[in-house]
Amino acid sequence: MKSSLQGSKKLGKFLFYAGNIVIGLIFVSPLIWMISASLKPEAKIFANMNSIATFFPVDPSLDNYFEVFRRINMANVFKNTLLYIGLILLFDLIVNSICGYALAKFSFKGRRLMLSFVAALMVLPMEALLLPLYIEMAQLGWVNTTRALVIPFIAKCFSIYMFYNFFSGVPNELLEAASIDGANPISTFFKIVMPISKTVYATVFILDFVAHWNDFMWPFLVMTGAETRTIQLAVQSFFSTSPVHYSAIMAALVVSAIPMIVMFVFMQKYYVEGIASSGIKG
Amino acid sequence: MKKRSPALVLALFMALSLTACGGGAEDDGAVHLTIWQPTDKEAVENWWVEKLDEWNSAHPGIQVSREAIDRSDSYAYDNKIATAVTSKQLPDILFVDGPQVSYYAANKVTIPLDAYFPDTSDFARSTIAQCTYDGQLYAISASESSVAFYYNKEMLRECGVDVEDLDARTIDNPITWSEMLDIAEKCTTGSYVGTHIVMDHGEGLPYALEPMYISNGRDYISADGTTADTYVNSAEAVETTAFLAGLIADGYANVDPITDEFLNKACATMLGGSWEVATLEASAGFDWGVTYYPVSDETGAAVSPCGDWSAAITKGCEYPDEAGQFLQWLMSTDNVATYCAAVAKPATRASAYDHESMAAYKEGPRALFVEQLQNTAVPRPRSPSYATFSADYAEAMTNILAEAASNHSVDRAYIQEEFNRVSDSFTEDYTSYYAE
Amino acid sequence: MSNERRLSGRQKSERLAAYAFTSPAIILLIAFLVVPMCYTLYYSLFKYHIIRPDDMRFAGLDNYAKLFHDGNFWKALKNTAYFTVIVVPVQCALALGLALLVSKRFKGVAVFRTMYFGPQLTSMVVISVLWAVLYNSNPNTGLINSVLAGLGMEPVNFLTNEKTAMNSIIFMSAWQGAGYQMMIFLAGLQGIPSSLYEASSIDGASKLKQFLYITLPSLKGTVKYVIMITMIQAMKLFTQPYVMTQGGPKNATKTMVYYIYTQGFQKGNFGYACAIAAVFFVIVVAMSLILQKFTNEE
Repeated sequence: MKSSLQGSKKLGKFLFYAGNIVIGLIFVSPLIWMISASLKPEAKIFANMNSIATFFPVDPSLDNYFEVFRRINMANVFKNTLLYIGLILLFDLIVNSICGYALAKFSFKGRRLMLSFVAALMVLPMEALLLPLYIEMAQLGWVNTTRALVIPFIAKCFSIYMFYNFFSGVPNELLEAASIDGANPISTFFKIVMPISKTVYATVFILDFVAHWNDFMWPFLVMTGAETRTIQLAVQSFFSTSPVHYSAIMAALVVSAIPMIVMFVFMQKYYVEGIASSGIKG
Repeated sequence: MKKRSPALVLALFMALSLTACGGGAEDDGAVHLTIWQPTDKEAVENWWVEKLDEWNSAHPGIQVSREAIDRSDSYAYDNKIATAVTSKQLPDILFVDGPQVSYYAANKVTIPLDAYFPDTSDFARSTIAQCTYDGQLYAISASESSVAFYYNKEMLRECGVDVEDLDARTIDNPITWSEMLDIAEKCTTGSYVGTHIVMDHGEGLPYALEPMYISNGRDYISADGTTADTYVNSAEAVETTAFLAGLIADGYANVDPITDEFLNKACATMLGGSWEVATLEASAGFDWGVTYYPVSDETGAAVSPCGDWSAAITKGCEYPDEAGQFLQWLMSTDNVATYCAAVAKPATRASAYDHESMAAYKEGPRALFVEQLQNTAVPRPRSPSYATFSADYAEAMTNILAEAASNHSVDRAYIQEEFNRVSDSFTEDYTSYYAE
Repeated sequence: MSNERRLSGRQKSERLAAYAFTSPAIILLIAFLVVPMCYTLYYSLFKYHIIRPDDMRFAGLDNYAKLFHDGNFWKALKNTAYFTVIVVPVQCALALGLALLVSKRFKGVAVFRTMYFGPQLTSMVVISVLWAVLYNSNPNTGLINSVLAGLGMEPVNFLTNEKTAMNSIIFMSAWQGAGYQMMIFLAGLQGIPSSLYEASSIDGASKLKQFLYITLPSLKGTVKYVIMITMIQAMKLFTQPYVMTQGGPKNATKTMVYYIYTQGFQKGNFGYACAIAAVFFVIVVAMSLILQKFTNEE
């Protein structure tokens, strides 16, 4: 009796792991295919698409990677990309968090209006506003400058919303205690609130980093020139000429995905905690 | 501490604005010209570096630089040009695809080049025709492209097709549609389809298939480029389309072929571009051949596609004469020959084929493409509304072929309906922007 | 009087702080979101071809009049609504299922979480290219159809039949996006006190009953939040139809953002594209506000 119970428990555990592995493989298959394709010669990439064999490279070679590193100045491309995304994120975290905090904790005229304003604009698809925004950049004389890449994307309704939700959950007693100690509302935020809010900052950081890492259309339209090339532009350059060479593209994509994967693996803990604490409580 | 953060924000903003103000003025007295061209393969990128060095050191007064544009697909580059036009951010010299020449010329984005190229007799007639709009030359091209009928000899033999007959065809005796259909039918087996007609779902469709329509008696658009009515929706065009859709409906060709379908032995023949030669020579593990573009049984008229990226001077260019001088040099026989060798495409100049770097074009599949370009090439319609037409035709064709694939039959009334819509859309675009 | 002033002293400093804190974000939002929107409204009143900026002609409400008779516009609106209505529950259910699989701590849980998040780490373009091949209609070249053929079934023209194309994109999108929502559900699940489960298991409640009577009610807030962000993403659908189907066949996968893009850029009817965008903005903003009201209740 006891052993059969243990046996069924073991079987259950086995099935649980087997199920997770199968489902996990289905989810990770595009990554595997991408990596496998990046190790194949061009002619073999779309061969065997009717069988599972397509996920395994035969005679793997790093030639595609050599081509990618020969054609792209990776150090420069990564530097450009990290620089502009870094600038966006730096301002993004400051500007949106203080706005979210004010909306959550200060009472002032126009607060409700601002909240509706932020909520309403959250759904606007940027894709549909590209050209008007470009025209505005041109009028400001910002085309081909870092300003055009950074400044329009600092304020984000969604980030404000995340911060607003998180700060709403910060107990008022904490703030009142600080205020009795004579701190003004601004220094209360920087001294007391910010240090206990790491998780929400980590969450917004990851979400916005991922979003900007995949930026293509906007940098493509406003920036011209090899010295300002960003990662997605460099990857897309392999799509430029026909015939399209998927082998090099896949290698370039693998290289471009590495920072995201590394970041996700390392920040996963903060990420889950960050969302858990951002006020979306059960 | 209290005031740190607003001050920090302000300081960073200022730092940001400062870094953005780089790129100083160039006061060296020289004329500076900029070129835009889509990023190309390594050999071409290297060619440009070498050639621009050569030009810039020989002409200290006219300094030329080229920006390689990383387009993601065929439309992204045109989008970039369009956004740049809205705020006058265009470069001096612009590379545009063949059929777009008329579009940019009619919209006064580019200027005529006749003054710089008074004698174009060495250039193929087809390329000059493609680059001419309203009687004036608006662009000039070094390279060409074409489409022909590739076949996998091993598969054809397996299926009982006379390969020697195909190999022996000449430009005066190309295969006909019924022969193409016959081969496709014979070669459709459990493990591969007979042929391949869908190059992509964009410009590839009108580009690769237009000769079918012309050969059958009716082009997409009138010769003057003003109307598509009674052209794309004519009885002849519907019949041509019905033939193509029939190949899909009968299962002789795939409606959504994978990339490299022919190379991966998933089809026995294909209507493929001249650029496939290099790919096949490098990677095909089988015996293959290529013959001339198929002709209509009824007319027997031989027609083939052509057209490639061409250089144009923009209207905003401050030094058109210097830009023209540069283009004359860029399009010299030597440069055309080495450029075409680097890009692995046929050349526009007849004299370029005498150059040692183009020796591979003397025989074999490459020579066949050159012969076809010199004898039967017809440019795509020269109409400012071609961009609209191309998008609409590709969409209609995708619908028609999908319908044929789903129903396993061809519905002529549906083809007529789709093409009437293409024609209406063309008329709307033309009358609202170009008709005076 | 003076008493009142003194009382409002703190409020006053709070109000000042509030304006100092909100103004950078609000100014930036106005400058780079509201201003482009106003441009869109402005250009929607003109006949304006994208490469003829010097030839703008005032057209009043012509573009809007045209829009009401444009079958493609309504079709795109319908497709966007259909996609949203189907993908939201499917994706949320899938995400919740995944979250339940990896909510407990066990050996290798981080690996599985990362795997489920995998599609988010790959670019949408790669996923679309790969799935276009997986969905290929010929069993000789498409993985899914080769499996179907192995089971003795007729091949399905997933992306080239107007009846299946949108559903194929929905399935792929739900699969691609579920990892993101899974992370949010995970967070929500962690917030449920384990004492609730312990109490119920003493009462002898089954796993299913626990899920229905404890897990789901406790996740109410999370579910609302996930539905909202999934809807926001769904209404912007663009990349998948752009890469995989070009809006076809027979407009079955043409979405609003895709239609705005093709009208504005490919066909150059920029004035008209702006009119479509303006109407679309009104719709999504209204939706967003209604949704906010709904989620803020209670």
